[in-house]
Amino acid sequence: MDESRPIFIQIAEQVENDIIEGRLPEESQIPSTNEFAAFHRINPATAGKGVNRLVEDGVIYKKRGIGMFVTTGARDMLVERRRTRFADEFVRPLLTEAAKLGISATQLSDMIRTEGTSP
Amino acid sequence: MTDTATPVVRASGLTKTYGSFTAIDGIDLSFEENRIYGLLGRNGAGKTTIMQLLTGQIFPDGGRLEVFGREPAEHVDVLSRICFIAESQKYPDSFKPKHVLESAPLFFPHWSQGLADELIDEFRLPLNRPIKKLSRGQLSAVGVIVGLASRAPLTFFDEPYLGLDAVARTTFYDRLLTDYAEHPRTIVLSTHLIDEVSNLLEHIVLVDQGRILIDRDADEVRGSATTVAGTRDAVESFVAGREVIGRDGIGGLASVTFMGALDALQRREAHELGLELAPVSLQQLIVHLTGADLSAEKEVVS
Amino acid sequence: MTTATVPLASSAPSRADRIRRVVRLHLAAPSVFIGIPWLIVGIAFAVSVAIASIITVSGSDTSGMGYSWAVLSPQWYLVAVGVQAVGMTFPFALGFGVTRRDFWIGTSVLFTLLSIANAAAFTILVQLEKVTDHWWTGTYMFDTLWYGAGPWYHDFFSTFALQMFVFFIGAAATTLYMRWRVMGVLMAGVVFVALFLGAGLVVGLMGAWADVWTWMATFTVPGIFAAVLVAALLCAVGGYFVIRRATPRS
Repeated sequence: MDESRPIFIQIAEQVENDIIEGRLPEESQIPSTNEFAAFHRINPATAGKGVNRLVEDGVIYKKRGIGMFVTTGARDMLVERRRTRFADEFVRPLLTEAAKLGISATQLSDMIRTEGTSP
Repeated sequence: MTDTATPVVRASGLTKTYGSFTAIDGIDLSFEENRIYGLLGRNGAGKTTIMQLLTGQIFPDGGRLEVFGREPAEHVDVLSRICFIAESQKYPDSFKPKHVLESAPLFFPHWSQGLADELIDEFRLPLNRPIKKLSRGQLSAVGVIVGLASRAPLTFFDEPYLGLDAVARTTFYDRLLTDYAEHPRTIVLSTHLIDEVSNLLEHIVLVDQGRILIDRDADEVRGSATTVAGTRDAVESFVAGREVIGRDGIGGLASVTFMGALDALQRREAHELGLELAPVSLQQLIVHLTGADLSAEKEVVS
Repeated sequence: MTTATVPLASSAPSRADRIRRVVRLHLAAPSVFIGIPWLIVGIAFAVSVAIASIITVSGSDTSGMGYSWAVLSPQWYLVAVGVQAVGMTFPFALGFGVTRRDFWIGTSVLFTLLSIANAAAFTILVQLEKVTDHWWTGTYMFDTLWYGAGPWYHDFFSTFALQMFVFFIGAAATTLYMRWRVMGVLMAGVVFVALFLGAGLVVGLMGAWADVWTWMATFTVPGIFAAVLVAALLCAVGGYFVIRRATPRS
């Protein structure tokens, strides 16, 4: 767990990653709050907060007495949301750092192309 | 606290003095049902005294205190719902662990013998060795087993894992979480070793010199401070007007920790100024907040 | 501030149950109250038999052993038991949610039961010693001092009273310590000494020492032990009030 951010957000993000990367297919059941808590050694209420955040976002839904499942369409929704944040979180810091090091936009795009094709 | 949950503990202006020394200085406190609380602070901050007051072991000198609706001391209906595992718990000299564990079920109506037996196994507690001859870790294990198996609606652990090795501490955390999940209850964990337990806690009460510095949900505390590092001038201009809780520096470089999180815009601004942002762990935050030279630094800032 | 803490739903255990469990807590490791005292009696008995045989071998009469204090050998240890009951078991019991009052009443019940049991045992042993002609060896262990001199119920009553006193003096002194620490015990000691000296002074000023000696000569075994029992009961009642605000050391 990353010390600097609320744990419940990190729990939610981990489930989101699992959904985006296909480890949790749509309509599959996700672990219970207590299972999350036990696995990550965190407070069950904190795990519950993370799960509730996903429910509120419509990423997962609860079936009374059975458990929680990934919503159909959750993956597309999450990918769309991550894309809009991509520029903020990755591209801008990249440009700042590049500017600091005197890397021009052309050089930068060359680097991206090379990195992208290398194994 | 605007939560609607009913508190199990409610204290206002609670005070405890020993002669001219004020151990607890008029604190307000509220513990809600079925949450795990961390009572944090340095040694001698007043954590144990607070627990002793809340469990009726000692008598307050001022303020109001209600536990399950009334003063705890001498009220059997309150005390029979409390389990207090003291750091320096005294046992009769003639006792062996088995005597403690055979007596405990008499006093805790929710006692789980099954859980106790499993824990005895996991901690490898020698039941027939005189208590006086147990190691510090084994002594802690006796307390941990009683505290967990009691399933008391209000359980206090005061520095419960002194002398326990890493494996035993992990066992304690795992068992605490799983049993708490199945049998929710209010648990108060006091410790000065914060990093290990911080993830178990739902709410944090930070005590220093008999007063409460922080009384907030753990998730709000986490990320509530930020450290910024870079050239002294850039750092100082960036933190101007912020509540600085610690500073470090070498030559022209400075590292300053302040209360408050940064939004995306501020983070970008920091990066553009060439500043490094670092997370502040709960432990670091508490060291900053309760550090001895804190007051001097605060004066410099203000 | 309004106080609306979580109300108590389940009923608390009855007083009888609470007292019974304090007794059981004390007896969780029964060696302290039963095993070791009787081990001491056993050793004293063995030593007494050995002494008796030495005396017999040397051709002397063993009736001088009638002044032996061996019968009282466990009492010194039992003072320590009274001290331990409060010094160690009290802080432990508080951690288990026992109230101070329940602890004191339960402890008093235990002391009374043990005193009755020990009184019965010593009474029987005195009679056995007499019936067996001092264990067929001329050993005087129980038929000594005032024991065996009067009817059996004198032995019973005196042992009971002495036993109660021994338990409660240790427990009460430790309770004073738990409440007021060293100052409390010291003050109590000072008060007792002052009372004795004061009484002696008054008697001396009145020139009544001769009368006092005559009066004391009329004391009977039951009379003396009635006074001992009263002292024990004063310790018991006093301890109840002192322990109500007592706090263990942290």
